Amino acid sequence: MESSDHAAGTVRPKAATGFASPAGDYYDGGIDLNRHLIPDRTSTFVMRVTGDSMAASGISDGDEIIVERARTPRPGNVVVAVVGGELVVRRLRHDGEGGALETDPLPPGEPALERIAGGFVVWGVVTRSLHRL
Amino acid sequence: MSGHLFALVDVNNFYVSCERVFDPGLEGRPVVVLSNNDGCVVARSAEAKALGIRTGAPWFKLAPLAEQQGLVARSSNYELYGDMSARAMEVIGRFGAWQEIYSIDESFLGLPDGDATAAVEAARTVREAVRRHVGLPVCVGVASSKTLAKFANHVAKNNPGFGGVCSLGSMPAEQLRRLQERLPATEVWGVGRRSGEKLEGLGISTVADLRDADPAWIRRKFSVVLQRTVLELNGTPCIPPIDERADAHQIMFSRSFSQPVGSAAEMREVMAVYAQSAASRLASRGLRASVVTAFAGTSRFAAGPASNPTVSVPLAAPTDDPIEIVRAAVNALGGRVAPDAAYARAGVVLSGLTPAGAPLQQELDLFSALAADHDSPAGAACPDEAPQLSEVLGRVKSRFGQTSIGLGRGGLSEPAAWSMRRQFSSPKFTTEWKDLPLVRG
Repeated sequence: MESSDHAAGTVRPKAATGFASPAGDYYDGGIDLNRHLIPDRTSTFVMRVTGDSMAASGISDGDEIIVERARTPRPGNVVVAVVGGELVVRRLRHDGEGGALETDPLPPGEPALERIAGGFVVWGVVTRSLHRL
Repeated sequence: MSGHLFALVDVNNFYVSCERVFDPGLEGRPVVVLSNNDGCVVARSAEAKALGIRTGAPWFKLAPLAEQQGLVARSSNYELYGDMSARAMEVIGRFGAWQEIYSIDESFLGLPDGDATAAVEAARTVREAVRRHVGLPVCVGVASSKTLAKFANHVAKNNPGFGGVCSLGSMPAEQLRRLQERLPATEVWGVGRRSGEKLEGLGISTVADLRDADPAWIRRKFSVVLQRTVLELNGTPCIPPIDERADAHQIMFSRSFSQPVGSAAEMREVMAVYAQSAASRLASRGLRASVVTAFAGTSRFAAGPASNPTVSVPLAAPTDDPIEIVRAAVNALGGRVAPDAAYARAGVVLSGLTPAGAPLQQELDLFSALAADHDSPAGAACPDEAPQLSEVLGRVKSRFGQTSIGLGRGGLSEPAAWSMRRQFSSPKFTTEWKDLPLVRG
């Protein structure tokens, strides 16, 4: 008799919905990607990458990236930065003068650090890349 | 302690600032945002203001000079502004004992009434948080009433030395007096141009004059509303919160057309689209409507007959069901649409609003409901357990996008000829998957 409530009590009279699933008691919604990928909806943005200069970090042309504005950028983070009025994705490095941006892999013949005339501003920290296989 | 201080948080040049978040190249350049149909200027960057461009200036007059001046125009991107507003308002709300969202870019916030330094500190924190989370610049005014908070905000915005934050409590009395003597009374929240002229005639021309006026005399000469303003200027809060005001009791969706709408059939399409937008606002506020009002109007400047029909249709019971609302709106104007008139605008108003409470119990039948209006061949009833249509529409829209499904014309992804002209619109960066901002890898 332990499951009599389940068998009779909750079936609505006019509905022909079949048997109630025994798994129903354990089901409390599927995985909600927003919950896991977007910790704060006010400061999380999705952007689309053009170009392959960050491919070795797992960010390829056409990938969508999740960008957190509220997170404090640290050396080694992949960030979206504003360079010359344009949004670029790069790895942030410390180079003794405050910071520099690095591509990954480095294009042949390019210096390791992209020194930006007039500096740059970090727009947000990249937390995920959504790469289509 | 007397409870709370009032902060007014206001995004600087909101529309322009939203555009700049995703197009940082616009930083430092003169930028204007245009009204519906790219008609005239509704928002200006500081650089555009410096060029002498006025709010309301028609775009066709500015366009010839734009290139030479480096002026950039953007069409109103309501999807972007709406989403950025929601983000900013949520961040602002985290810092207050209470929050009252006043408009798309302004919010009142209750701050604890500690010492003056604490208030300035709290205001700076809010300003920094909105910049950091959403990328938008805000100014914050803090004072002991809403009207004074508005005034403080005005001071913060127009005096760069304040660093975007002005708290009247920490301002020397002498400085406050000078600021209030310099600013015209018409700059005070709630003082219109007509009251301003009348005040001027009575010798009250500055904020300081109005503050020092006798409230009882002001009530006799003007109204209880202006009396409240005087009391508020003296630090006595007496303006009620927004949801107690009358304009919270209706939802309106109205637009001007890019091309005149002439036929009754086209007007039915318009009503179907507008009513769906109004219905989704209704649902998002958790309300039901008792009355649907549809209106349309010809332009005052157009040749041809004038026609301004407005028809209100009471609903059988308060509802948030988009089908009922759309049907009422589509049929409302009926024979009132003049066959030879060129309509320039139309809208749908939902009123008699009540909280939705428990979900509707009535079972909806998608096909027969549509068949009643459109001679649909599908007369078969849905299974009893079918979810409510409004819920299905909402779910499909959130999964596949705004234009994926809808009732009547509202379901088509190709905009109809009468839909708004937005020639210079930026992408819907934050609300459409295909429109995500591009970042160079």
